[in-house]
Amino acid sequence: MKHYDLVIAGSGPAGLSAAIEAAKRGLSVAVYDENARPGGQLFKQIHKFFGSKEHKAKVRGFRIGEELLEEATKLGVEVHLNSIVVGIFPEKEVTISMNDHIEHIKADSIVIATGASENMVTFPGWTLPGVIGAGAAQTMMNLHGILPGKKVLMLGSGNVGLVVSFQLMQAGCEVVALCDAAPRVGGYGVHASKVSRCGVPFYLSHTIILADGDDHVTGVTIGEVDSKWQIIKGTEKHFDVDTICLAVGLSPMSKLCDMAGCEMEDNPAKAGFVPVIGRYGDTSVPGIYAAGDVSGIEEASSAMIEGRIAGIAASAYLGYISQEECDKEVEIQEKALDGLRQGMFAPGMRGKKITETEEGIEISENLLSHGFVADDEIERYPGVTHSVGIHPVIECTQNIPCNPCQDACPKHCIKIGDNITSLPVVDSNVSCIGCGMCVASCSGQAIFLVNEDNGNGFAEITLPYEFLPLPKKGDKGSALNRAGKAICDAEVVDVKSLKAFDKTNLLTIKVEKKYAMQARFFKEEA
Amino acid sequence: MNADVIIIGGGIIGCAAAYNLAKENVSVIVIEASNNIGNGGSTRNGGGVRQSGRDPRELPLVMYAIKNIWPNLSDMLDTDVEYHQQGNLRLGRTEKHKQILTELTNRGVANGLDVRMIDGDEARQINPYLSDAVTCASWCETDGHANPLTATMGYYKMARRLGAHFISGEKVVEIKKVKGKARKVVTEAGNVYEGDKIIVAAGYESRFIASTAGVDIPMTPVLLETLVTEAVKPMFWQMLGTADADFYGHQTNHGSFVFGLNSGLEPFAKPGKPLSSSIAASAACRGIMQYFPTLETIKVVRTWAGWMDSCADHVPVISTVDECPGLILACGFTGHGFGISPSVGLLLSEMAMEKKTTLDISAFRYNRFTK
Amino acid sequence: MILDRNKDIGEFIPAPDDDMIVCRCEEITKGEIRKAVHDGMFTLTEIRRYLRTGMGLCQGQTCTKLVKSIVARELGCRPNELGGATGRAPMRPIEMKVMAKDKEE
Repeated sequence: MKHYDLVIAGSGPAGLSAAIEAAKRGLSVAVYDENARPGGQLFKQIHKFFGSKEHKAKVRGFRIGEELLEEATKLGVEVHLNSIVVGIFPEKEVTISMNDHIEHIKADSIVIATGASENMVTFPGWTLPGVIGAGAAQTMMNLHGILPGKKVLMLGSGNVGLVVSFQLMQAGCEVVALCDAAPRVGGYGVHASKVSRCGVPFYLSHTIILADGDDHVTGVTIGEVDSKWQIIKGTEKHFDVDTICLAVGLSPMSKLCDMAGCEMEDNPAKAGFVPVIGRYGDTSVPGIYAAGDVSGIEEASSAMIEGRIAGIAASAYLGYISQEECDKEVEIQEKALDGLRQGMFAPGMRGKKITETEEGIEISENLLSHGFVADDEIERYPGVTHSVGIHPVIECTQNIPCNPCQDACPKHCIKIGDNITSLPVVDSNVSCIGCGMCVASCSGQAIFLVNEDNGNGFAEITLPYEFLPLPKKGDKGSALNRAGKAICDAEVVDVKSLKAFDKTNLLTIKVEKKYAMQARFFKEEA
Repeated sequence: MNADVIIIGGGIIGCAAAYNLAKENVSVIVIEASNNIGNGGSTRNGGGVRQSGRDPRELPLVMYAIKNIWPNLSDMLDTDVEYHQQGNLRLGRTEKHKQILTELTNRGVANGLDVRMIDGDEARQINPYLSDAVTCASWCETDGHANPLTATMGYYKMARRLGAHFISGEKVVEIKKVKGKARKVVTEAGNVYEGDKIIVAAGYESRFIASTAGVDIPMTPVLLETLVTEAVKPMFWQMLGTADADFYGHQTNHGSFVFGLNSGLEPFAKPGKPLSSSIAASAACRGIMQYFPTLETIKVVRTWAGWMDSCADHVPVISTVDECPGLILACGFTGHGFGISPSVGLLLSEMAMEKKTTLDISAFRYNRFTK
Repeated sequence: MILDRNKDIGEFIPAPDDDMIVCRCEEITKGEIRKAVHDGMFTLTEIRRYLRTGMGLCQGQTCTKLVKSIVARELGCRPNELGGATGRAPMRPIEMKVMAKDKEE
C-alpha cells in the first residue's frame, strides 16, 4: 500500500501549514483536498489580513494561500486536488476518492484539517433559490467570477457577513441592508465602518421574517426582535432583493474525526461537534491530529498556527525530532497564537459586554448599534488628532491584534508598541509626508490622510478605495459620511495606485473644510 | 423502581416485547444501555422479512409474522414500517450457485414454503434490471422487506404510548435472585429495578448479563456492514440476496437502496466500537454491479457497521431458564432477528405472562447446546 | 447519560411554522420533528432513525444544528446535550462504480 509519514485531509491554511512544518523536518507528506483549487477558504479571501507582520498581516488571503502552497510544494509535499478523503479506518488506513477510483493509503500520522461548513437559519422561504451562504457567495464571486445576484440582503454582522458585504459591493452588487438578530455588531468595527460608509444600512436586533418568491427570491421582510427574540409587531420592513446571504456562523466539519475514532465533544464554545484535543492538536487516537476550524471555529491566522503545531507534533511523534525540540518550537507557536487570541474579540471575550478599551476609553456605542462611529465619538481615540497640514487620522477604535500601520510610516509617526492590541497612537511631533503607506497598509481601511485646511477653504481627504471603475482626477461627486450619507460635493484631486499599495488605491477628495472630519467616502456623480 | 416485567435491551426485540405486554396492561420497564433506542442490530440490518433461506426451526416464527403481523404492523404502530411483500430473489450466476440455491429451495419446500427455482429469464421478467449474468434464482413470492429503523422506533413509540416505561443510558451489570427467583436488575449507576419477570434481549451483551444469573449462551459478536445509496426513482420492490452472499438488500420507499455487505473478513473483525472496514463497501459494489449494472452511477451516501450476536447453532435462544425462574432469554439472533421480531415480541410477552405460547418454542431452549 | 423517556414535556402544540422544511435533502418539516420528540424520539440519532433527517446527500451537514435546536427547545434542554451524528464513510457521496474500483499501489 502507498505509504506516507503524514497524510493531511484538507489543503486550507491549517493543512498546508502542517504540511510545511512536517516536510521541513523530513517527513514524507501528502495533502488531499476535495476542491479543484488548494488553499481552502484562503483563496476566496481577497481582503488584506489582520495580525502582525511576522504572521502575514496586510497580505491578502489568496496571496497567503499561494505562498503556503509554493512553500509546501518546494519542500516536496504532494498536494492532490479533486481528491476526497472518504474514510479513515483502523491502523490509519485512509481511503481517497480520486477521479474514477478509490485509493487505499497508509499513513503513520494524520492531520485532519477539513475546515467548516456554513450554518443556516430557517424562515419561510429559506429553501428558495437565492438564499445562499455568505461563503457560497464568496466562492461564486471570487473563485468562479459569477455574481450571486444584483440586490442582496445580508444576515449576520460577524466578520464573514461584513467582509462578504463589502466584497459583494466590490463585485458590483447592491447590498440593500445588513441585519443581525443580535443587538450589537459581531465583527470588527473597522469592517463594519467600511461597509457602512458605502451606504449600507445596518439593522441590529432585526431578523428575517420571510423570503418572498415562487421559484426564486424576489424580496425579503425583516423585523425587529425583542429580548426574547420575538418579532415586534409593526417593525416589519420589506426589501426587493434577488439574493439573501446568510452569514450566521460556521460548524466544524468534523465527521472524519468521529469516523477515525477520535473522542468527540459537542462544545458550544468551539461552535459545534469537535474532537477533544490536547496542546498539540492531538486527538484521543495517537498519531491523529486536528487543526484549524475542524477543531473549533476561529480565524485563518489561528488555523495556520494550529496547523504548524500539529505538523511539528507529528514530526516528534514519528521520531524526526525530539520531544524537547518539539516542545520548544511549539511554545513559540503558542505565543503567536496567544497573540492572536487577544483583544476585544478573543475567544475568551465571547458574550462579555465591553464598555471601554484597554486604554480606558469609552467604546463607540454607535459603532456597535449602527455600524459606524458617530461624529461625537470619533475624537476620543488616540489615532484621531488634529494638526496643521496633512496628517493621518486613524479611526481604529477597538483592541484587535493588528499592527502593520506601525511599520508603514517611514517617519515612524504611528505607534502601537509591544502590546499588539493597543490602539494606534499618532505622534503629532513627527511631520507627515503624505506618502499614504499607512492608508494602504491598514487591513481595516481605517486610516485617512486629512489636510483640514488647504488654504482655499477646502479640506483634502485621502481615503482607501478598492472599487472599479477607479475615479479619475477631476471627477465630481458627493462625499459620504461614516453613515454612508451624502453630505456635500466632492472632487477627486488625486488618485494614487502604487505597487506597494497592493491594489488599495488612494483617492484624494476635496470638500468644504467644515466636512474634514466627516467625509470618509466618495460617490461618483451618476 | 418496580414493574411486572423488566426488559433489558431497547432493540426491536425488547421494544416489541414491551409493546405486546403494555397492550395487555402489564407494567414494563425497558432499560437500554446506550443513549439511543434501537442501537444494535435492530437499526443496522438489511430489512429482510424472509422465509426462504431460513433455518427450518425459525420458519414457523417468520411465517406467523408474515401471515398475521407484518401486513398490519404500520397500522398497529401508527408508523409506516414500509413493509413490502413482493418476493425474495436469491440470485446465482454459476453452476455452483445453482447447487447452493437448489439445496436451499428443496429444504424450504420440504418445510412447506412456496419457494421455487427459476431460470435467468424468469428472474429478469420479475426484475428487468438484472444483468444477463444471472442464470438462476430461487424465488419466494411471499417474502419481502421492511424498514428496520421505523419498525424499531415504531414499536418503541407505541409501547411508550401504551405506558411502557423506557430508560436509556442505563447499563445493566447484574441480575440478582431474591428467594430463588430472578428479581433485581442492578445497573452500573447503582440503580436497582425489580420485576417478577426479567427479559434479557440485549444482543451480544446478553451473554454477560445472563451469566450473572448463572447462564451462559454460546455466542460470539460478528460484524455486519451495510451501505445506503442516494434516493432514485422506484425501480423494484423485491428483497434480494445472492447464492454467494456477497450482498443482500432492497430499494426502500424513499428511493434509496440499502444493501448488506460482505467482504469475507467480517468474522475476524476486531472487537470494540464497530468500525466499518475499508474494503467491504467496494467489494459489495463490485458484487452489486455484476447483478445490477444500471446501479453503477448511483451514489453511496453512507456505510455503517454493527455487531450481531451469532449463536453457536445460528438460531436464537428464546427461553425461560429452569435454574433461574423469572428469567427469560431472547438473544443469539445471528443476524436474522428482524423478520421474526414481531412474533418474538408476542411470544416473549406470552412467556412473561406465563401463558401458553402461540408457537412452539422448544427449538430455542437455552440448554440445547449441552444435550 | 441516564434519560427517563417518561419525562414530562407537555402536549404537542401545533405551531404556524410547522410545515417549514428543515432537512432539505429529505424534506422533513419542523412539525414532523417536533411531533417525533413528543413520540419519544429524544436524541438526534433517534430522530434520524425515525424521520431520516440528516440522512440524505449532505448527511446532515446543513440541518444538524437546526434539528438540534428544535429538539432541544421541545425537550427543554441544551442542544449540545443531544449527542452528535456519527461520522460514516464515505464522507461525500461516491458513485458505485468509483467505490467498486479500489486500488492499492
